Amino acid sequence: MIECRNLTKSYGVLEAVSDFSLHLEEHEFLSILGPSGCGKSTLLRLIAGLEVPSKGQVLLEKREISGEKIILPPERRKFGMIFQDFALFPHLSIEKNIAYGVSGSRSEKQKRVVELLKLVSLQHLASKMPHQISGGEQQRIAVARSLAPRPRLILMDEPFSNLDYQLRLQLRREIRGILKHEGVATILVTHDQVEAITFSERVLLMHKGKLVQAGTPEEIYQQPQTLWASSFVGEANHLSVEWEKTSLKSPFGFLDVPAEIGKETRILMVRPEDFILVSAPDDEANGIVKTVEFSGAAQTVGVELKSGEKIQVSGSPHLLWNLEDPVKITAERYLCFNSSGDRLDGFTAK
Amino acid sequence: MKSSVHSSGSWNLLTLSLALLFALPFFSLIVTAGSGGENVWGHLLSTVMPGYLKNTFWLMLGVGSGTLLLGVSTGWLISMTEFPGRRMMEWALLLPLAFPGYIIAMVYVELLEFSGPVQEQLRLWFGWQNYMDYWFPPIASLGGAITMLSLVLFPYVYLLARTAFLQQSATLMEASRMLDKSAGNSFFMIALPLARPAIVVGVSLAMMETLADFGTMQLFAVQTFTTGIYHTWFGAYNAPGAAQLSLSLLTFISFFIFLERYSRKQQRFHAQSSIKNAHTRYPLSGIRAVLALLFCIFPVLFGFALPAGLLIQWATESWRGVMLDRFFSDAGNSILLAGVTALLGVFIGLLMAFGSRLSKRRRIHWAARLVSLGYTFPGPVVALGVLLPFAWFDRTMDAWMQETFGITTGYLLSGTLFILVFAYLVRFLALAYGTAESGLERITSDMEDASRSLGKNTWQTLKQVHLPLLRGSVLAAGMLVFVDVMKELPATLMLQPFNFSTLATRAYGYATEELLKEASLWCLTIVVVGLFPVIFLNRQLRQTAPQN
Repeated sequence: MIECRNLTKSYGVLEAVSDFSLHLEEHEFLSILGPSGCGKSTLLRLIAGLEVPSKGQVLLEKREISGEKIILPPERRKFGMIFQDFALFPHLSIEKNIAYGVSGSRSEKQKRVVELLKLVSLQHLASKMPHQISGGEQQRIAVARSLAPRPRLILMDEPFSNLDYQLRLQLRREIRGILKHEGVATILVTHDQVEAITFSERVLLMHKGKLVQAGTPEEIYQQPQTLWASSFVGEANHLSVEWEKTSLKSPFGFLDVPAEIGKETRILMVRPEDFILVSAPDDEANGIVKTVEFSGAAQTVGVELKSGEKIQVSGSPHLLWNLEDPVKITAERYLCFNSSGDRLDGFTAK
Repeated sequence: MKSSVHSSGSWNLLTLSLALLFALPFFSLIVTAGSGGENVWGHLLSTVMPGYLKNTFWLMLGVGSGTLLLGVSTGWLISMTEFPGRRMMEWALLLPLAFPGYIIAMVYVELLEFSGPVQEQLRLWFGWQNYMDYWFPPIASLGGAITMLSLVLFPYVYLLARTAFLQQSATLMEASRMLDKSAGNSFFMIALPLARPAIVVGVSLAMMETLADFGTMQLFAVQTFTTGIYHTWFGAYNAPGAAQLSLSLLTFISFFIFLERYSRKQQRFHAQSSIKNAHTRYPLSGIRAVLALLFCIFPVLFGFALPAGLLIQWATESWRGVMLDRFFSDAGNSILLAGVTALLGVFIGLLMAFGSRLSKRRRIHWAARLVSLGYTFPGPVVALGVLLPFAWFDRTMDAWMQETFGITTGYLLSGTLFILVFAYLVRFLALAYGTAESGLERITSDMEDASRSLGKNTWQTLKQVHLPLLRGSVLAAGMLVFVDVMKELPATLMLQPFNFSTLATRAYGYATEELLKEASLWCLTIVVVGLFPVIFLNRQLRQTAPQN
């Protein structure tokens, strides 16, 4: 339904978005995940028509809406948008905010307003002013308002970041349900990986204006394209390794890796849960327990390897570790990365 | 209780008695207005009132729409668009504020009257002989007064509208466009309604100034309440009549005070967004940029550049002819009065702001607020309100002294500089008080408590914590009072001692004798002094406005 081709937006020498392409299917929920300042909001605004691309195109149903020849103004794209500060019009009542984008007769408007207030279960707030309702209510009204003109696509710019933690979890679930029910496609921009993972079916990982990786949340977690991606999504241990004759020399012993990959490998990435930690006598041990963080469902153990590197291991909360315990570490799964931080394809050790 | 910690009893008393002292003129007007009996009121109602009301109505309507139109459009152009010269126009549009209404009126009278250069030139070009041959819009008219006041008062609206537009979160306009409204529609449905409270505040301020204006109306012979009060007092010495007119005028003004306060409250709700996204200014180019620039230049040209230029030209032409010693003595008088009032005003303003802050009692806050109303009282009203009780005091004193000691004390206080300074304080204390109060707001009560817990008493805390932190606002307050006293005309005219004049009253005196060119040096000096607060205002704006 929506397609971006090689979108670039530069401010002077700075490229906020560079050569970015994406496509979105009807009814699909897509997240754009990245740290703050990575250009994800600019990308969203390019799609909305609030910014003009320096290069590239945006297409709607294969028809160009942003490009060199045409910039369709935002009001003619019929997309909905939900802003970080909700952007409710402070001089209009809740009803009037929702009715703002609805065209048609007064009774049609009224009908749509009632429908939407019911959808977000806030019928009793119809005549209130925005400053009289809570943050969570404002958020739901913002959703109702954006749905009012029946858009096919909703763009959301960090919509939950102004809410406190508990409310955020609850509203995320609720709003996702509402949007699914309405059958609109959604692009969510966020810096919160949990939000991206729980909200959408597909995640685009963005860094410094560029697309790093696209995929399901599991794919990005299991198979990060770059070292940066591995540590931005989830926890990651990065260890330096080098090729010696026929195998890869790591802080926890020699690893059996095909030569064409092993020769290129400079960094090994291991997830904390992919380490196996056993206690061992001093002469067999390759590390010492330095910190223990207990967090109920799991336990994070900080180990200093004999090589001097420090790693985080997460394991069962049932094994009790004491500081300075000698331990033996092995890795169950690991990924190999070359000197520029890209993953060397086709190999995941088991 | 917190207030008991601050041994605030004596502070309360001080604040309260200061407030009552400066509210004295108001009470004296009420008492005097009631003393005349019903027939005076009925007489006013049937004779002068209809004319005053009619003129006041047209003035309100004219100046209201004039300032609205000029202020909102320039405010919008400056805050939302980008064109060559915008940055310069941003501060240039404040310049007309430096002109008091009566001075710009004097300049335009000189320029546009029958014997003025413009009509002379026209007669030369078209061969007209006398005023029967052609029609020229009369400057000394209601329309003329509306034009003059609109030109110098629109910056109030400009200033507030501009800030309101800048403070609106950019996302609101974007949200409107995402809801399928065009940029033009969004302006009228979102940006303008959101700025409305600020615009109303600006127009209310302009309206209050218009109602208070004396000099322009007097020069253009437009009969309004202010000139009426002046004539009822000086022409007929009809104190109850003048007091009743004063109270009628205050009723009008109180409507605008209410409107202003109410709109300021509204403004708070309208500026609730937490995230301030910088606006992207709409770039104008080609003919549209030229038009925008010309549109902004127009009010600055006629409201400042042209009259200032003429004053400079006339002053350089005429300064050899004028009595310079007279100029220096007038300037000395002005500076003396302004300086003394500024010092006293700042000192009393600080005391009251501090006292009102220490007190947790509503009564004290109300008393302090009463004082701030003085600023909305027109000069003739203040003069009358001050004159009446002092004259009564002098008469009573004189009678008593004669009766008991057989000596005549005559006028002890009336006709002295003391009463003049007191009247200035009534009128301008609000400026000093307001500035001190907003400065104090930045000093948290925790800081006060910390100082007290470290063994300092109230006075030591005031000296060692508050004053150093307040220095900036105190200087600003002093300057604002100083400049306003320099510009003040009607109260000075009514209260100045015999054979005494200031820059403002002498300039006005020359103007009434149609010696406008001779007055140019005096006028120019007042305008130059008037520039200081404009510069100050502009600097403050630079610091507070969101930059982009």
